[in-house]
Amino acid sequence: MQHEQRILIVDDDHDFVEAISCFLELNGFTVFRAYNGAEGIRLAKMNQPDLILMDIMMNDRTEGFFTIHEIRRDASLKSVPIFVLSSFCTRLPDFEIPSSGGWLSHDMFFTKPVDTAQLLEKIRQRVGAAV
Amino acid sequence: MPSQLEAPTSAGGGTAERGTREPAAPETVLVIDDDSTMRLSCRKILAKMGLRAETFEDGASGLDGVAKTKPAMVIVDLKMPGISGMEVISRVREIDPQVVIVVITGYATIDTAVEAVRSGAYDFLPKPFSPDELRLIVNRGLERRRLALASQQHEIERTLLKRRFVTFISHQLRTPLATIYQYLDVLKHLEGEDEAMRVRRREWLDHCLARVQELQSLITDWLTLAQVEGGTLSRERTKVDLGCVITDILRAYEPTASAQGVSLEARLPDDCLLVGGDRNCLSVLFDNLITNAIKYNKPGGSVTVSGSQTRGEVVIAVADTGVGIPEKYRPFLFEEFFRVRDDSVKKTAGTGLGLHIAKRIVTEMGGTIHVASEVGVGSTFYVCLPAWREPAAVGRESDAARAANIDRR
Repeated sequence: MQHEQRILIVDDDHDFVEAISCFLELNGFTVFRAYNGAEGIRLAKMNQPDLILMDIMMNDRTEGFFTIHEIRRDASLKSVPIFVLSSFCTRLPDFEIPSSGGWLSHDMFFTKPVDTAQLLEKIRQRVGAAV
Repeated sequence: MPSQLEAPTSAGGGTAERGTREPAAPETVLVIDDDSTMRLSCRKILAKMGLRAETFEDGASGLDGVAKTKPAMVIVDLKMPGISGMEVISRVREIDPQVVIVVITGYATIDTAVEAVRSGAYDFLPKPFSPDELRLIVNRGLERRRLALASQQHEIERTLLKRRFVTFISHQLRTPLATIYQYLDVLKHLEGEDEAMRVRRREWLDHCLARVQELQSLITDWLTLAQVEGGTLSRERTKVDLGCVITDILRAYEPTASAQGVSLEARLPDDCLLVGGDRNCLSVLFDNLITNAIKYNKPGGSVTVSGSQTRGEVVIAVADTGVGIPEKYRPFLFEEFFRVRDDSVKKTAGTGLGLHIAKRIVTEMGGTIHVASEVGVGSTFYVCLPAWREPAAVGRESDAARAANIDRR
């Protein structure tokens, strides 16, 4: 039997974290909450989540990117799916990240606010339905 | 972890300083002429003007010199053996289009001089010319270049600032909006009727209201800033009694402060805190400082506003017994959207514009603002403003009328 799917959310906006976490918990996921990059890295290593939701512009303007970079350096977290959630800009190309070959390439990008139904669908496609 | 705070000091700050200091370094003027007497006298005159003079005897070595010394101005003889003066002009402009080019020419070749000016030379100097004529044309040419460079620099800075401001403001507006949307979106799914669910729904609606409030403050601050920047608020110069302004603000915040266990105290002399300015602006200024002093205070703490006047200057000190500001943050305190984000500081609502607005207002009024702070003990903001001076040409009667007319709104 599959273990309960675990999701880590990293965002400095407590209210946003609260809303998304609650929604995911209602849908059967276990959610870990981190409010800055350092906390995100710590919780990722400790809990080995099945998927990570990452804000970009936190205390530092590109804190999320550095956090992803740091998380990816951990061998056990090399391939954990990371969804980027940001209101910094409306389209991924604004970040000037190549769509192929980059370290963000096979992951997903969402603009805040997110369509929760769509987010849930994408998460399920990645990690399977929560138990 | 990379720090947004430290990076700009070395990179951004440095560039800005170089930009403003540039005119202080001596500018280089390069002279290309095959006549050695001419080179020598030009060199002497230019050196006396405090400029760096470089002289070359032909076009080829002169162009090398242009590439190496990056001169502000090139003075070139049109009639030389080897590369012609006209050729030199076009090559110099290829190297650096900002170089001011002056051509030296004999009377007989005035047509060529006109042609040179058409092809990008700034002016021409017909031979023979006096030292004064040379000085005049060099000064004019360099001045024109400085203006061109300054306006170019200004334009670059303006564009950068504008882009940065738009990026930030859109992020600042979008974040609370996104959160409100997210709450409402998830609220649709919170269907249970049990007590826990009711409590949560209630809480979330309160959070939404707080975020709407945040948006409103941001828009208000943003508009205030636009008005201060546009000069519409701060150009007004009426006599304002800061004692009244501050007392009014303290009275208005009494309930908020006491709810947080913070006491407010005014140590203001009776009637010597008069400044010339716009009352609304001054109100915004001290409102921002006093709300900060309450917001970043500790239960049982106090806010003390004291004032004095010395040598034509009014000094107001807003002192709190709060968390204090770590030294590394102090240089950025008055920058737009800057917020101290430290684990020691509880997350406090705010737009990050308050102190920036305060600084803008003080600067517009010809005053200064600075802070003294000790972590864990408190901070004191000092505002120094020029004291009100009666206009010189008023009689005693209108003086009295004015005194009676002190703005006591």
